[in-house]
Amino acid sequence: MKPLENPVLVLGGGIAGITATLELTRLGHTVILAEKGPFLGGRAAHFTCKATDTCQKCGACLVEQCLLDLFAAPRLKIETQSQLIACRRENGRFRCTLKGQPLLVDPKRCINCSLCASECPAAEAGAVMTTSQVPHHPRYAILPEHCLHFLEGSCRVCADLCPTGAIDLNQRERELDLTVAAVVLATGYQPADPRELSHYGYGYVPGVITGVELENLLRHGFEQLFPGGGRQLSRVAFIQCVGSRNHRHPYCSRVCCAYTLRLARLIKHRRPDCQVTTFYMDLQNVGQTPGKFLAAVQEEITTIRALPGIVAGTAGGTVKVRYVEESTGQALFEEFDLVVLAVGMGAGQDNRTLGSMLRLELTPERFFQPADAEERATTGQPGVFLAGAALGPLSIPESIAQATAAAWRVHRYLEGTCRRAPDPEQIREQVGAGH
Amino acid sequence: MKFAQLVEIIFLYSFETDVGWFDFPELALWTAGLSQTRVLALDPALPELEQEERLRAFLLKGKRHPVVLVGLDPLWRGRATINLLLEKFRLNPGLLALVDLYEALQYPHAKYVLIKAQELIYLAATRVAQAHPTEFQDFPMNSRVLVWGDSWAACQAALELAQQDHEVILAAPGSALPETPPPDLMPLLNQVQAQALIQPLWEASIMDLAGGAGNFTVQIKTGAGLREERVGAVILAPEFRLTANFAGYGLSPQPRLLSQTQLESLLLSEPETDHPPLGVAAFLLGLAGDTCPQSLRRALGAASRLLSRNRQVHLFLGQAQVAAPGLEEALENALAAGLFLYKLQETPEIVPEKDGIKLGFRDPILLRPLEIRADVVVVEENYYGAPENQFLSLLTQIGPAPSRFLQGENVHHLAGVTNRRGIFVVGPGHGVLELPESLTEAKATALEVSKLLDRGHRRGPKAEATVDRGRCVLCLTCYRLCPHGAITWDNRALIRDLDCQGCGLCASECPNNAIHFSSYSDEQMFAELENLDPRLHPRIIAFMCRNSAWIAYQAALKLEQGVLPLGFTAFKLPCAGKIDLDFILKAFTMGAAGVLVLACHPENCRSHRGNLHAHWRTEQAQALLVEAGLHPGRVLFQTLAANSPSDLLKEIDQWCTQLREIEEAVTKKVPA
Repeated sequence: MKPLENPVLVLGGGIAGITATLELTRLGHTVILAEKGPFLGGRAAHFTCKATDTCQKCGACLVEQCLLDLFAAPRLKIETQSQLIACRRENGRFRCTLKGQPLLVDPKRCINCSLCASECPAAEAGAVMTTSQVPHHPRYAILPEHCLHFLEGSCRVCADLCPTGAIDLNQRERELDLTVAAVVLATGYQPADPRELSHYGYGYVPGVITGVELENLLRHGFEQLFPGGGRQLSRVAFIQCVGSRNHRHPYCSRVCCAYTLRLARLIKHRRPDCQVTTFYMDLQNVGQTPGKFLAAVQEEITTIRALPGIVAGTAGGTVKVRYVEESTGQALFEEFDLVVLAVGMGAGQDNRTLGSMLRLELTPERFFQPADAEERATTGQPGVFLAGAALGPLSIPESIAQATAAAWRVHRYLEGTCRRAPDPEQIREQVGAGH
Repeated sequence: MKFAQLVEIIFLYSFETDVGWFDFPELALWTAGLSQTRVLALDPALPELEQEERLRAFLLKGKRHPVVLVGLDPLWRGRATINLLLEKFRLNPGLLALVDLYEALQYPHAKYVLIKAQELIYLAATRVAQAHPTEFQDFPMNSRVLVWGDSWAACQAALELAQQDHEVILAAPGSALPETPPPDLMPLLNQVQAQALIQPLWEASIMDLAGGAGNFTVQIKTGAGLREERVGAVILAPEFRLTANFAGYGLSPQPRLLSQTQLESLLLSEPETDHPPLGVAAFLLGLAGDTCPQSLRRALGAASRLLSRNRQVHLFLGQAQVAAPGLEEALENALAAGLFLYKLQETPEIVPEKDGIKLGFRDPILLRPLEIRADVVVVEENYYGAPENQFLSLLTQIGPAPSRFLQGENVHHLAGVTNRRGIFVVGPGHGVLELPESLTEAKATALEVSKLLDRGHRRGPKAEATVDRGRCVLCLTCYRLCPHGAITWDNRALIRDLDCQGCGLCASECPNNAIHFSSYSDEQMFAELENLDPRLHPRIIAFMCRNSAWIAYQAALKLEQGVLPLGFTAFKLPCAGKIDLDFILKAFTMGAAGVLVLACHPENCRSHRGNLHAHWRTEQAQALLVEAGLHPGRVLFQTLAANSPSDLLKEIDQWCTQLREIEEAVTKKVPA
């Protein structure tokens, strides 16, 4: 590969990182996209379509097309399983060091036969990761942190079995030195940990799951929620504001009302006989006509303004929820087959490290602090930009719009500091549409 | 069987392709045996230079022939080859077809895999052999931009573009930009006023807008008369209007009732005019109609000013709209400063009295009735789009949306992009956005405009959809139908190349078949349907929208759940609305047991209502089937998202069961 001229380093391969990357390459810039995990698409890639009779405008379906475009984009270098470990400023540029694990499964050789995943003795620990995102190839990745070969050197099952010899376990972590003109932080968010609120029973009461888990489950088909032969699911409850709007997280996560109400409507739409209840503090606006949306919701599902005090399992395998009825002040019990905790959006785990490495300020909630309230893409450090939920809770469409604005800011910055790469070949954009 | 012209078939062949039950050489031999083909086996893992040499030696010089690229996951494995073909060998993308052998590999027997692969190659070759690809052309683009509106988002967009050397006309009905903006917007205002490339036009109204992306003609009326401006792009960001929601709360205006704006101006005036006295203030919020985080932010702002002056403030709140940065904190701070907050389900009873207003309600914590006497009651305001939006919507064919906004919600129209190329709707033009969000959108739109107009020219497909001027009778069906406003007319319909987004709605709806759509032509579709392999059974034809179902289908092929019927063949459409009644009927003539039409979910269509047209046309087809004595269940219309491959497989599976039942019922009726 030719040395990249004035490249931009985008950290994070979620929807914001992908959008920023795509827009920058379309404007003629060279981009290095680094992602911590083995696959791109981020958290939004695991969300389900929530359409009932009509589209519910969650934006989850946009990820697939973005990935297709991304893999066809010119002037782009993708570094998966890579993390930024050092960064310093030098002559107006950044000298960055990425620590990365080269792909153990060779994309040129892999035929996605799934033998490595099915025969791996450490499969339960997650040594072989699969993505359902089809634009990816290979769709299998071996994670050294769980692989027995890397942990104790004992196992070479996958490498021996692979029919095309695509697996090379001898590749070791390496460091990559880069000089880049700008850095875009699109490191996203971390779903709140529901174990903080132990009275909701997450982790020990069977039948209590998080909204993220429900999304993942439904992403693989609606039937996943109703496993054959199992107990019929007839009563589902959602509990809002888990890990947001409390003393440890004094902010509203903004997206949870939207996603739970949409999920609730989806369940009700597919299974009209299923009773769906939502426990909430305040229902935040959803969509352009929030009143109409809420009225439609309240016709289909029961909304109760109360946050439950106790969530406990019963002998019958159901989940019992205790709450105070608002108008009478009475404590009531209600039983459900499934309780879904609407977990909020928390700051990314690496924000502190990245913040100190790039000398960025963090908000009290540990999100990245933008330069000022109106200029949400720039930071206190010239040349370092913010995109997506690294800033704070954002929905998928908002992340896309914000990342586009961030790409524009980067473009303006680079125009001020460096010469531009030659015009983009527009024909290249057509390739993704090939049959 | 013969292709319309010579087809060059390239097999991406390396030893991976031999794994399993797939006999690659046999397939290649079969292909070589077809007339009008040339075959090359190429290892996609070879270095690019080596591949280039081999391609150069293989591809015929002179006229470019269509190419079919066959391989396992060719989009990935053959990426380098594709790039070489398109860039080094200047192959028109319309002359390149990809065959993904995964589509064949899902079948458990070598025999079926081979037959299926043969069919896929045959159909792909048929399609490209019939292709009349669109050429690309550089279109001149006017680099001037009209920004409409006096919102801060409009100012931001104008400034961003002017700084990129675009000449900008900033026009609005108002008489000037506000002289005293909030302090953090002062730099923006100063920069806009100092920017020489921004030409402000005040007290203006848009009278007409014609033309398309890169070349709009706008008639603007100002005090000085009517002027005609030529611009390459239009950004619509008219500021929203506020109206106090007295009616929603069942109140009639009186001196002690203030709207939020009235209170704000009262608080700004120094020295503070205490008329009526602001001793005890009560705010009503979120109890009647829509409310939004801005309303809460403004109410809390005013409340904390009152609290800092030691006034008593009561806030009657329905749903607390705290879904915006810092609002939860602001609410907590106000409570700490002494705000009385009542979260109610119903509006309090409001009784005007001689020296105040009495508010009666049931306290949600004490669970008993309470009464509060306030000096003033402050009512929240509703947000509406600007009054000119209705006319702008007619003019631009964008929207209208509820509350007089311009653009509805469609997840494909983000960052200011609309159904019209070259017209953007930003910030308060399409909804109640907070200022930072609006400004963010303005910047994202600046990027979109820059991509569209940059360098004064744009490369795009030339004559993708063309009107046969001999057939057009100027019925204007296409004009009314086009979701992208790309059609105009002289004495026949005309399609503007740059505005056309290639959905093909016009071509399939034209009553006189006068519109030819080159990248998905009827001839291609018919040729493919005629060349279906009769050995594959049961024959099921699926027409899929490329924006949703096609993506899901590609994903479904690689899931390890279920196998599609052997005779299942999918056709990609640019939009489900491209489905033609003739396609469905032709499929049945060619022996299809069923036809499936898959579209995007309602309100998710990139082409606005393409999915709806597809639905109507399948209903028409069903009616025709009934007339012909066939079961209408043989045609199915379904909507699907791009990220639901499992749902796709399940739908197909269920429907196939139904089809089998239909077939069985038929065979029972007709004794052998």
